[in-house]
Amino acid sequence: MATRSRLRSTRLLVVVLVTASLAIITIDYRQGQGGPLEGLGRGAQTAMAPLQRAAETVTRPVGNFLSGLAHLPSLEGDNQTLREQLADAQTQLTTDQELQQRVATLEDLLGLRGTLDPEAVPAVVIGNGVSNFDWTITIDKGSSDGIAVGQPVVTGSSTSPRLVGIVVSVTPVSSDIELLIDQHFQVAGRLSTSGETGLVQGQGEQDLSMGLISPDAQVDLNSDQPVEVFTVSYEINGEHGRFPPDILIGEVASVVKNSNTLETSVTVRPAVDFSALQYVLVLHTGRSEGGPG
Amino acid sequence: MVRRVLSLTAVVVTALLLQSTVFGQLRLLGVRPELLYLVTIVIALLEGPNEGAVVGFAGGLMQDFLMNQPKGITALTLTLLGYAVGMLRQFITSPSPLLPTVVVGVGTAAGIAFYEIVSLLLGNLDMTAAYGVKVAVLTAVYNAVLTPILYPLLRRISEGSRPRRVVRF
Repeated sequence: MATRSRLRSTRLLVVVLVTASLAIITIDYRQGQGGPLEGLGRGAQTAMAPLQRAAETVTRPVGNFLSGLAHLPSLEGDNQTLREQLADAQTQLTTDQELQQRVATLEDLLGLRGTLDPEAVPAVVIGNGVSNFDWTITIDKGSSDGIAVGQPVVTGSSTSPRLVGIVVSVTPVSSDIELLIDQHFQVAGRLSTSGETGLVQGQGEQDLSMGLISPDAQVDLNSDQPVEVFTVSYEINGEHGRFPPDILIGEVASVVKNSNTLETSVTVRPAVDFSALQYVLVLHTGRSEGGPG
Repeated sequence: MVRRVLSLTAVVVTALLLQSTVFGQLRLLGVRPELLYLVTIVIALLEGPNEGAVVGFAGGLMQDFLMNQPKGITALTLTLLGYAVGMLRQFITSPSPLLPTVVVGVGTAAGIAFYEIVSLLLGNLDMTAAYGVKVAVLTAVYNAVLTPILYPLLRRISEGSRPRRVVRF
């Protein structure tokens, strides 16, 4: 008798919890941004940020060591490739310096502004997404440092930035960044060789896909120069894109063959190694909230 | 009772913290372990369906709030997972020390598959079936490998916080 009543109370408990979960899913779907759950979520993130920061400081060396072990088999090959690339780069450098000077003079003449806003907030990565279906990172700067939802995030330096992602939520002390490999991420891209534009979309752990390229575009992967993809700026009805131009997104890895003659699509390997990302720059662009890339 | 709630809360928060920091970098073949699934299954195995469901719900909800995904799906998944494992416990009689490892592996795969299906039905996940299976299988293997390390620890915590425990001098 006692067992049966305990069984019944367990069942009741589960029904209550399942109902609560379903209610949360429904409320979250209907409320969109700025509802009560959003506030609760932000509270939880604010509370977790200092703990994450502490844990990150302690565990970073351990994580680095272990992920280094995981990458060990590929290190030898990487080393060889890098040596070859270095030799190539050094020859390239001499020619480039000359070009650089010419470009600098021309830019001065035209009075071009730097492509990036000089206001960039450096931040430390203190956490990663908590699930296999969530490609985000958490950084240690938030709204009190002037970070707002919709600001682009890069790594590297302000002169040669590589795209990381975009700010999707902020608390006073931390922010969440949606990485460009996230399945909801979209950005307009431009091929370095032909200047053709297209739409770059995240694919999770796989390479990014870039579609909507003109079918006439020639993408030659056999030449010495890698085909790189950069962000482009555009303006539609007075609305600017979210990303400043000329941020490196990645390198074209393959051309997707299909019978569709209306567009060409390629896969793009991101320029950033997200598993080793430690420092990022958040760019203060004039416009923050807004639609896709 | 208070002691029990506190120690289970500490376990869940620690799991979340590790999940979002060190295990975020420790990807094997692009997949990371899901510590909350592991904790829910082990607690359900040790304590039964009630605790399994409650820990699953609370842990899942906390994880949901830290994710850039619709809230509540992990909570739903882990509630059902905790309850199911807790109920299945009475049918398991094997004394094998490998048992928790197997249960964690199978349970994680089933839980991830359930999460993927719910997300897919809600139109939130866009992926191929092959990728979904890969994530479920690899996460299950990863969790199973971690079980022999974490199971004894979780058992000690859970037994230590049980009410009316025998005090030895």
